[in-house]
Amino acid sequence: MNELEKKLSDYIDDLNAEREPEKHQGVADTPELENLLSTARIVRTLREPAMPAPGYPERLAQAVAHKIPKSKDAEQKMIHVKSRRTWFFPSVAALVAGLLLFAVLSNWYGLFNSNAVYAMEKAVAQLSNYHGILEIRSQNAAGEEWLIRRIEIWSEGDKYAVRQDDGTLTVNNGTQKWQVRTQSKEVALLPVAPDSTKTGFDLRDEAKKAKEYPHTVVGSERIAGRLAEKLKISPPGGLPYYLWIDTETNLPVQLQTAMQNALQTTYTFTSFEPNIQLDSQIFAYQLPEGYKVVEKDPGQLVATVEEAAAISGLTPLLPEEAPVRIFAFQDRIVLDYGDTTIVETVAQGSFKPVADSALGVAAGGLLEVWGERLRWRQEKLEIQVEGEQREELARQITADLKLPNNDQDLVNKAQIKVPVDMEIVKADQEQVDRGSSPWQLDPLHVAFTFVNLKVTPEGIQGEPEVPFSAFKLAVNNGVQAVVQTTRGPIKKVYLERLVRQDETGIWSVVGYDPR
Amino acid sequence: MNTVDLLEKAKEGDQKAIGNICRDTWEPLYRFIYFKVQNREEAEDITQETYVKTLTYLREHQTSPDNFLGFMKTVALNVLRDRWRQKKRRGIPVNFEAINPKEAAIQDHQKAVAQRIQLEKALTKLSADRRAILDLRIIKGYSVAETAKLLGKTEAAVRTAQYRALQALARLLDEHE
Repeated sequence: MNELEKKLSDYIDDLNAEREPEKHQGVADTPELENLLSTARIVRTLREPAMPAPGYPERLAQAVAHKIPKSKDAEQKMIHVKSRRTWFFPSVAALVAGLLLFAVLSNWYGLFNSNAVYAMEKAVAQLSNYHGILEIRSQNAAGEEWLIRRIEIWSEGDKYAVRQDDGTLTVNNGTQKWQVRTQSKEVALLPVAPDSTKTGFDLRDEAKKAKEYPHTVVGSERIAGRLAEKLKISPPGGLPYYLWIDTETNLPVQLQTAMQNALQTTYTFTSFEPNIQLDSQIFAYQLPEGYKVVEKDPGQLVATVEEAAAISGLTPLLPEEAPVRIFAFQDRIVLDYGDTTIVETVAQGSFKPVADSALGVAAGGLLEVWGERLRWRQEKLEIQVEGEQREELARQITADLKLPNNDQDLVNKAQIKVPVDMEIVKADQEQVDRGSSPWQLDPLHVAFTFVNLKVTPEGIQGEPEVPFSAFKLAVNNGVQAVVQTTRGPIKKVYLERLVRQDETGIWSVVGYDPR
Repeated sequence: MNTVDLLEKAKEGDQKAIGNICRDTWEPLYRFIYFKVQNREEAEDITQETYVKTLTYLREHQTSPDNFLGFMKTVALNVLRDRWRQKKRRGIPVNFEAINPKEAAIQDHQKAVAQRIQLEKALTKLSADRRAILDLRIIKGYSVAETAKLLGKTEAAVRTAQYRALQALARLLDEHE
């Protein structure tokens, strides 16, 4: 066949498939051919344009916002909210979370931005929906491999449906969330928001991480019958892991965690259909015949705050900005802002921030800062704001919000400096990443161990000399912390997160004040 | 919030303002770009690039155009031109200095109308067979195999026929210019 005829025909096929022809076919190499391609485009103007898939304006806005750098003022405001946390399907999350939730200390965008990652970011931004089968396999250090689970995922915008091997189907269609349990023949109605159970292998999150962490392309392989580029991604202070990107769709197709505790997990999309016509029935709630409904206060979508107040018996504190949706439960109100949720409940007992959280001030009391979550008490309510706009929304509820200032040097005041061997600290961090010695994530426990080993250098046996109750966290800005003691030879212990400065980073003692 | 305020905020990278601007203006811009490139993938891509380039430019030059959509259409034209040039040679920046949004947008609209009239005229001058093949393959979007089946031809004959039909049409359009 004539080469030019084929090129022209392929070009028309690409236009008909709504794909950018040059990307797939190369450039027209002669003026004559260019003229014919241009004529084909002109003829095609007689038909109606193919419009983008639903949700395009939102995806567009997100992609544009991502590329418009914030002004200096805005950057100053954002300085404390660099870490990002994305939610995964929980049981999958348990396996990947440890590896993937490192906070971003620096943005490597630009320095390490390879073509594959750029193309992936773009493809993910353009992804309107997909249907796929995700296989989760484990390998041990001896090279044995076994299938853990196979799940089927339908995803469109914020809606998703996930079917497990045993037939259990979990659906969130934005207004309702439910789980169809085939074995017990019941349908459980679940709260729509906050929802921590999105799809397992989160494509958007993977693209973002690949871009932010240092990475290199280390080869190409065939994954589930598709040619894919293999990317080695090295999170700061963690072990490298691998991501495979389909060369045709530019979407992530496989993720392999690092070998931790002689076990490694691989997530593979054995089938993946992006941007297709999904059957809308999949997101429609219907009770299968013979099933009973199990309802455990799934909350209800209400139109006004007054309605929510009447159902929950709470008088919520509201930001100026109106939420997208309001859910009322018997004991709480949830305000949903899309990427951020506010949960308000009646405050009960004393306020106890989680041990490894950074502390700030809100409404005259303690503010817990943990990952993307802010939590404090105000007017007998406990308020939790979680998500990207947490700081902005929290400030609309309480004017005196003070986030921990991690520019402030807390540890410099230590009278006695404790030398630190970074090799040992890094090894300790890796050990904690593998799930061992989690106490190193808690500054109180680290200080407690340090002080007691000072008192009894031969090791702590039986009851420690200085009890845990004698230790109190004085300051924690997320990066540095000071612990005070009421007993023993040490008055103050100064600690710092030396490897990673987020909730996954371990604390090390860098100094102390003797009593 | 009015458009000027929104634009000011969007220029500073305010996500919400960018969201509102995109929601209000994407469709005419997308249609304008689609008309040029005739495929969704590229149209979505250029639409995005146009917003980024426009907002970045407006911020750097501390300016706000009266006709935002017109301004964006002109930026889009420049992005398109650059892309077409870059396919042969990399690295030509958008020529913002040459932007006169109102004029460029009006001229382009007039051009589009004229092109449509010329095209319809030229198509009537083609033989019925050639019109049929262009109609099936390009306007209706059938594959080569489907077109071959519908016209009772081989696939190779369809490819040759569409090539010749476009050649003839290009000549007719050239005569008009």
